[in-house]
Amino acid sequence: MTTPNPTPARRPRREPSEALLATLLLLPAAALLLGVLLFPMLTTFRDSLYLNKLTEPWLQGFVGLKQYAQMLHDARFGQALRNTLLFGVLTVGGSFLVGIPMALAAHLPGRTRGLARVALLLPWAMPPVITGLIFAWLFNAQYGVFNDLLVRAGIIDEPLRWLSTPGLSVLAMVVTIIWKTSSFVALIVLGGLQGIPREMIEAAQVDGATPTQTFFRVVLPLLAPSLAVAFIFRTISAVQVFDIPYTFIQQAPAQGLLETLGVYIYRTGIEFLDFGYAAALSVALFALSLAVTAVYVRFVRDGANS
Amino acid sequence: MEEHTPENLSPAQRLGRAAALAALIVGGFFPFIWMLLTSLKTEGELQKFPVQYLPSKLDFSNYARVFSEQPFAQFFFNSLTVSLLSTVLCIAAAVPAAYALARLNLRGRGLLLTAVVAFSMFPVVSLLIPLFRLMRGANLLNTYPALILPYAALSLPIGILTLVAFFSAIPRDLEAAAMVDGTTRVGALTRVVLPLSAPGVVTAALLVFVNSWNEFLLALSFNTKLSMRTVSVGVTLYQGEFAFPWPLIAAAVVVATVPLVLLIAIFQKRFVSGLTAGGVKA
Repeated sequence: MTTPNPTPARRPRREPSEALLATLLLLPAAALLLGVLLFPMLTTFRDSLYLNKLTEPWLQGFVGLKQYAQMLHDARFGQALRNTLLFGVLTVGGSFLVGIPMALAAHLPGRTRGLARVALLLPWAMPPVITGLIFAWLFNAQYGVFNDLLVRAGIIDEPLRWLSTPGLSVLAMVVTIIWKTSSFVALIVLGGLQGIPREMIEAAQVDGATPTQTFFRVVLPLLAPSLAVAFIFRTISAVQVFDIPYTFIQQAPAQGLLETLGVYIYRTGIEFLDFGYAAALSVALFALSLAVTAVYVRFVRDGANS
Repeated sequence: MEEHTPENLSPAQRLGRAAALAALIVGGFFPFIWMLLTSLKTEGELQKFPVQYLPSKLDFSNYARVFSEQPFAQFFFNSLTVSLLSTVLCIAAAVPAAYALARLNLRGRGLLLTAVVAFSMFPVVSLLIPLFRLMRGANLLNTYPALILPYAALSLPIGILTLVAFFSAIPRDLEAAAMVDGTTRVGALTRVVLPLSAPGVVTAALLVFVNSWNEFLLALSFNTKLSMRTVSVGVTLYQGEFAFPWPLIAAAVVVATVPLVLLIAIFQKRFVSGLTAGGVKA
């Protein structure tokens, strides 16, 4: 119907007020978040104040912050925290070093563009557990292809025991996580690249800038907001990393060097059945995620003001 | 697609470009291709060093074993059901919420958005035990809702943020025009805003689907009955206590990954632009 309604100012139905409508529209999401996630979250905070160990059921009850104090003397927690931070720094940094060139390559026009985009998305979409399994096989000491390639290239003489040698296992895990997560950085950078007007790049070229100069002086500054977003999401996921270390530890069970906070929480709760301490560790990990975000928000705000 | 390939590239530049693309494609596909090759070999062929790169004959028996040693078809059906239903539930909740956050005059809008983000910062491993108790209390363990509800809720923040970015990008005038023509606010949403943001909805739906398909920890712990297992847990069931039958595991990995590869290949163009448009502004 294109003819305008001749009776003015009469709406067919009474519209609800905007506030009421907003409430109604937010209701399903709020129900899902509050109904499914809020209660477990609050339970975690509460549990962290209570002793609750299934293996010692006679020791139960309110202990206040005692389990938080316990962390300070827990060498295993210290190690897991150090591992998590080390993996975090290496894998976040590494995923940017690999992800930015990946995005630049995928941004190139040409016939292989679709294939390049699939190659870029595949690691991102691959289940982390499966990524862990695949790389455990690639790094296999006896029959692994990485060893084979390194021997053939003459870089090493003997196959390396990647997963059971302390330093090498860390390297293997870092490589795996970087492979898996560079895609995410690349995707966000690719979005940033697509938002840069061609004229700006052409103008720089007309002024005689080399491709390297154009990249560092024009492209990179324009990408800063995208990079900041990628940085925060990558850091939070790095702090919480679980699936890949979990799969690797199954292949090299005795390795404390591979245990991240996420894995330690899982073992404390599920294997040692110490629910109270697992909850306290969980709150610590949540606090770490919040701290990372707070630092980032401050950084972005300062960046915006300057 | 427009082709911007400039003709005045030097040979070195052409070579650099080809090398960059080749590195990306090989790097992305290599682990998957290697699993494919491994899955076609016999245990005997694997136990060689230097590695034998190609199988001497194509041996598909590992694929038959994937389905005969574990109920993998059932795992597949379970993953598909759980992922599809969590996607539907999540998007059904995310669309109206994102519309309200992007378009209506809400007091405390910034606070609400912050709360949404905060929900995504709680580590999943920390929710495992309390969620387990919740599901056990509700008698939902070993059922589809035991996974659908948390998956939909866990993906809701990213779904909402993606859609808020999309809705914000649609000119308000279009809605205003529709409402002047006598449509209600809800009518403007369903008839104007939603059709225009279809790419955003597809992007958000794919995000939720991939998240749900890949989830491991909750699936491992909540649905322990063999007939209720999902694919991501299923692929880990072929390893014995001390042995890793790699050709068999590789075949399971390939079967589990093929749907994702197809999904990406079909949606790659729309997905990359949608994900970046949504993700960056959120």
